[in-house]
Amino acid sequence: MEANNTTDKNISWLKSGWWLILLVAAGIAAPYVISEFYLLILGEALIMSLFALSFNLLFGHMGQLPFGQAAFYGLGGYGIAMLMTKFQINFWLSFLAGIGLAALAGLIIGIFCVRLRGIYFSILTLAFGQLIFVIIYKWHDFTGGDDGIQGVFPPEFLKTPIAYYYFVLLVFCIAAFILWRITNSPFGYILKAMRENSERTEFLGIPIARYQLTAFVISAAFAGLAGALWAPFYRSVAPSTLMWIKSGEPVMATILGGAGLFFGPVLGTFIITFFHAYILGFTHFWAIIMGTLILIVIFFLPGGILGFIKEKIDNRKKTDQ
Amino acid sequence: MSFDVLFNQFLSGIARGALLFLVASGLSLTFGVLRVLNFAHGSLYMLGAFLSYSIWKWLLIPVYGFYVATLLSALVIAGIGLLIEYTILRRLYARGWPEQLLATYALILIITDIVKWFWGGEFLSIPRPEPFTKAVFLFGFPFPSYNFFIIILGLVLVFFLWWLVYKTRLGDIIRAAAHDRDMVSALGIPIPWLFTSIFVLGAFIAGLSGAVTAPYGAIALGMDIEIIVECFAVVVIGGMGSLPGTLLGSFIVGQVYSFGIMYKPELALAFIFMVMAIVLVIRPWGIFGRPER
Amino acid sequence: MKKLAVFTVFLCIFTMFLAPVMAQAGAPVAKAEKTAAPKAAAKADTQEPIRLGAIWDYAGPCYMLSESAVQGIKIAVDEINAKGGIMGRKIDLIVRDTEMKVDVGARETKDLILREKVNFLIGPCSSGVALAVQVVHAESKVLRITCMANTEGQVVDKFTPYVAQVVPNTYMEAIAATRFMNKKYPAAKKFCTLAPDYEFGRREEAAFAEEIKRLVPDSEILYQAWPKPGEKDFTSFITAIMAQKPDAVHSSLFGGDLVAFTKQAAPYGFFEKIPFIALYDLPVFIALGADAPDGVMAFGRGCFFMDPNPKMMEFVGKYRKVRGAYPDSWAVQAYDSVYLIKAAVEKAKSSDTEKVIAAMEGITLDSLRGKFTIRPLDHMGSVPCYQGVIAKDPNYTFKVWKDVVRVPGDQVWRSEEGVREVWKKTGITR
Repeated sequence: MEANNTTDKNISWLKSGWWLILLVAAGIAAPYVISEFYLLILGEALIMSLFALSFNLLFGHMGQLPFGQAAFYGLGGYGIAMLMTKFQINFWLSFLAGIGLAALAGLIIGIFCVRLRGIYFSILTLAFGQLIFVIIYKWHDFTGGDDGIQGVFPPEFLKTPIAYYYFVLLVFCIAAFILWRITNSPFGYILKAMRENSERTEFLGIPIARYQLTAFVISAAFAGLAGALWAPFYRSVAPSTLMWIKSGEPVMATILGGAGLFFGPVLGTFIITFFHAYILGFTHFWAIIMGTLILIVIFFLPGGILGFIKEKIDNRKKTDQ
Repeated sequence: MSFDVLFNQFLSGIARGALLFLVASGLSLTFGVLRVLNFAHGSLYMLGAFLSYSIWKWLLIPVYGFYVATLLSALVIAGIGLLIEYTILRRLYARGWPEQLLATYALILIITDIVKWFWGGEFLSIPRPEPFTKAVFLFGFPFPSYNFFIIILGLVLVFFLWWLVYKTRLGDIIRAAAHDRDMVSALGIPIPWLFTSIFVLGAFIAGLSGAVTAPYGAIALGMDIEIIVECFAVVVIGGMGSLPGTLLGSFIVGQVYSFGIMYKPELALAFIFMVMAIVLVIRPWGIFGRPER
Repeated sequence: MKKLAVFTVFLCIFTMFLAPVMAQAGAPVAKAEKTAAPKAAAKADTQEPIRLGAIWDYAGPCYMLSESAVQGIKIAVDEINAKGGIMGRKIDLIVRDTEMKVDVGARETKDLILREKVNFLIGPCSSGVALAVQVVHAESKVLRITCMANTEGQVVDKFTPYVAQVVPNTYMEAIAATRFMNKKYPAAKKFCTLAPDYEFGRREEAAFAEEIKRLVPDSEILYQAWPKPGEKDFTSFITAIMAQKPDAVHSSLFGGDLVAFTKQAAPYGFFEKIPFIALYDLPVFIALGADAPDGVMAFGRGCFFMDPNPKMMEFVGKYRKVRGAYPDSWAVQAYDSVYLIKAAVEKAKSSDTEKVIAAMEGITLDSLRGKFTIRPLDHMGSVPCYQGVIAKDPNYTFKVWKDVVRVPGDQVWRSEEGVREVWKKTGITR
């Protein structure tokens, strides 16, 4: 059973591995091929993918659906923005501090949230996310309230769109690789075990609360990383990035792409981001299109788009044999 | 602070709580039985408000037109609820709650755009209906009689739901189903039928509460998102799926907000979520909620 | 498996080293594009259309305002195009939606600039979105006319030459309204404020506090309420304000919030007991109908009943033909913005941004709201602020204003020294 599993993993890793290298190569070549605007969208898609990946660590791999992920994303952005604009601290330190802030918030909130399962977990994370949103929104004198913070500039050599794109690509690759390692480590397998049967996992003597908390903090840190990448991307941050509506975006992306696969959320985010930018070019009725798309995917592609493709490939393999 | 001032602030809090209870009770009821957190509840509420305006405008019945419009719009929303349950949610019960959650989230997006499409995002308003146009005097201080109407409606709803859940056979089934769905099903009670009727009832309450807010304030885009967040606070504090919990939760949120506005207006909204956080830290499943199995 | 992992890491590191190199290699490409653009523009000055980007918030409370603003823009564009365009060049209008989200706003602005290659921008509605958008278009050196989002932050705190304002900013509007209220109720000393909790409301009330201290030195502000935008239930705010027994209440509520507040405050006898001023304009009157309280003070930004000059009434006629409804002040300001661009381009004899900005500084425009001038220092238009008192008018099915006061913008705007003082704090030199 165990051996079977690993060989399976090997095959899928090989399969996705070559794709990966091609994709990274395409990512590196992108600035020479596509126009500046699409490069911008590509950068945005990479950042949002990271956000979705952080969400899927809890959802796809641990089986818990957090609905307050935007709070950590926003805190990452606010961390870097406030330190840079209010305290004139340099970009790199602020960047790390943004991630740290998100992780810290993740730790505090996580302690209370990991006690719960299922939908209660979702609601509690939503509630805490909303608490953070309200604090930032209402603390006008300190956070700037609704206007947010503008003027978050990256260092000089990252100021051009192309340079910042490469920076985003690099951070994304490293972060995705770390996340991939985490999910395929013993730690990751324990998360999966908890997803399948948390009671049995507990009987094995594994302190599931501690594992869940660790995963929660990691996820918050990566969401914060995405936020800290985003703020200098458009040079500003605002409280709407912390709202629960924003928390719905990685959920949609993950279900669209496929929660069961590591790169599902990435595919989902790419589709949504590019589709969104395209649709807004000629109509402002984007929401109804997105809503319908989500319903269609839920009904007809239960495993998400990538899940569907993988299933097709697997089926073909089987018939070939 | 003199007594009448505090009393008035208290009454304002009650009115706010009553309004919240109207909306949140539907959300809580649906969750209690179906175990579906209906994100789109706020959207149905908004749709109910816009619809009641259009029906009121179309009817042009001079004095009591509002009441007719309210009832009709609540019925139409109930019909929409039936449609949603039958075409979407029913197919997802077997699939697990994340899909259900996301489906109702998708409905928010769809309904918002439908409202935009039909009503163009204008903010609308219905004049207050007779006999609730004026104020009544309590301790020599005026209190809008329409607020009393909302409070009374809230009480009627409490009583109705209490009667439904604790005094009828349907109520027995509801409580049993909330406790152990499979057992109820094994007893030969058609669960899908039960779920449909509860969802329709929840939608009816959403439509009703939306229509009732139409003369109270303004009908505008974005009211769905505003209300649903506060409703989450209410049901989370009181305990998901619990009727007394929802009642207590709306009372607490109404009062905290009302007195928060009086003493520290810039933090009033944050107070609600702080109270919620405190409650959740002590009792993660809410005051009247049951720990999940 | 390990090999692949190592390879990926290697690729990442490779990218890291490559990035700065590529950035420099890429920079000339970008520069080449940029240098190509002005050349094309110079050639195009004679024939190619002028591209106008409208960036608006089609969501929530901004939806309706954005719709009427875009309608105003469209009418102006059609008028100009029918008369042969600007210096023989037609105007192309491209409309984009921000969904009232700062991230979408920033991206759509980039899209308008990069892909649609717009020469000028008009919009948006929300002040928060406006500030976020401003960073983006200022970096890309594209001029934006702001005609609805009126936070002073755009032209004062976070000034950039790439913005011009044709709507009275929060400071001007609040100063004018405060003076009006003070003239009506000179004995009032104790005040409360009630404003939506975001950029616009915060700034209006700050300006009110500043001005009322100047006018009535021994005045005091007892209580400040900050309902969130979109508040549906003001009852608690109303009772809290009434408990303070103020002499007058200054409010910058508007739109749906003001409708809700007015309806909920009326049964308390609020308007009979306490002098009140707020942004009562056309959409609020239409929604309120007979519920609009007679005799209550109002301020606004230039609707037809505030300034019924012939030019305005001609615009009203056109707007009604297209939309079947009266235009609100948002449509008026948006319409004026297009004509400001036209005047500046014609004066500059070019659509080059820098030349247009230079031409725009000090330009006087004969607008729907009378003449106004763009102040060279901070690009603020000396647009009028209006105040009045709510009253019935047999000509209309809704209530309008009477005793209208028109305050030219140069009487209430922040002095140049005042602007420079703020700049000293925010580090802007000019």
